[in-house]
Amino acid sequence: MREREHSKIVRVLGVLLVAVAVLAGRPALAHIIDGSAAGGFLGGFSHPLFGLDHVVAMVAVGLWGAFLGPPAIWLLPIAFPLVMALGGAIAILGGPVPGVEIGIALSAIVLGSMIALAARPPLMGAALVVAAFAIFHGHAHGAELPPGTDAVSFSVGFVMATGLLHLTGIAFGLLTRWPAGRIGVRAAGIGIALVGAAFLSKAV
Amino acid sequence: MTGLLQAFVGGFMNPLLTPAHALTLAALALCVGQQKKRGAALIVFALALIVGFLVIVLAVEETPARLVLLAGAAVLGVMTAAAWTPQSVVCLLAGMAGAALALDSPPQALTIAEAYATLAGTAVGACAILVGAATIASHANADWQRLGLRILGSWIAASAILVLAVQLR
Repeated sequence: MREREHSKIVRVLGVLLVAVAVLAGRPALAHIIDGSAAGGFLGGFSHPLFGLDHVVAMVAVGLWGAFLGPPAIWLLPIAFPLVMALGGAIAILGGPVPGVEIGIALSAIVLGSMIALAARPPLMGAALVVAAFAIFHGHAHGAELPPGTDAVSFSVGFVMATGLLHLTGIAFGLLTRWPAGRIGVRAAGIGIALVGAAFLSKAV
Repeated sequence: MTGLLQAFVGGFMNPLLTPAHALTLAALALCVGQQKKRGAALIVFALALIVGFLVIVLAVEETPARLVLLAGAAVLGVMTAAAWTPQSVVCLLAGMAGAALALDSPPQALTIAEAYATLAGTAVGACAILVGAATIASHANADWQRLGLRILGSWIAASAILVLAVQLR
């Protein structure tokens, strides 16, 4: 039964990665018509990848979801982008969210600790924790949206990159089906929490 | 004749190469693909598209069609993510999307004939993309495939929400 679940998840990951690869081909096509669309997509896609604090937190969401198993494995990566977009919208519309950098660093610490401790809170609790931190990440990205870029392409690229980081975490998290893998994933949780602590010390 | 053909092809490609249109069509296709009776939503979309083009021919002023398209994409994406796709709501949103897509596609043409060819190309292109994508989505019957659709739905909704915020800024 558990093997069947993992097989399903691996297939979802495969299809989504192919979909991303296909959609990522859009800029080359769009470039013929509008150069800013290509620039917007690449800018958005690279944006979450060039901040270590963002990267570790996004991977942690996927890792924790994989650790918790179904339905968290798919619920967290579905909920995160939606709430993150709300955070981004707040920033774009000029709404303040206090302590964004601290919130982002705390997200890595909390999520990393949850993984390291193999914490299994109720699904709603896990979703609320992830959603609360998604606001901070979304706000940071939204506030840094470069003026003059193609907003649609930028947003699609940025959401896709975030989703890919979640999928990376889920793929890594599937190692938990083996005892050695569980240790590896929990060790990764410690690493994520340490990165978060380093960023927190800078932010405070 | 070549000019008309070029205008038609340009119109045909327009929904695919305009990111907001592609986003909305993708979101609508995911929702329609999960319906048992897909015909109703597709017909409503096509009729609304034609009505929208008739309004364009009557030379209306600029409309907030882009905002309606993006709001529709966000709602449709959330519905797909939540796996909640009642037919009446999907039909309503299909109608809104069709009309808004048409109103957001004013042709850039030198002659009246080329403008009509562009509009016809856009209508055929939008319907073809929607039917094709909905057909693909309708084959997602296995649990893992439906899960993939839900994740794609959440990505589309998130993108649309961000772009809406940019447009409203």
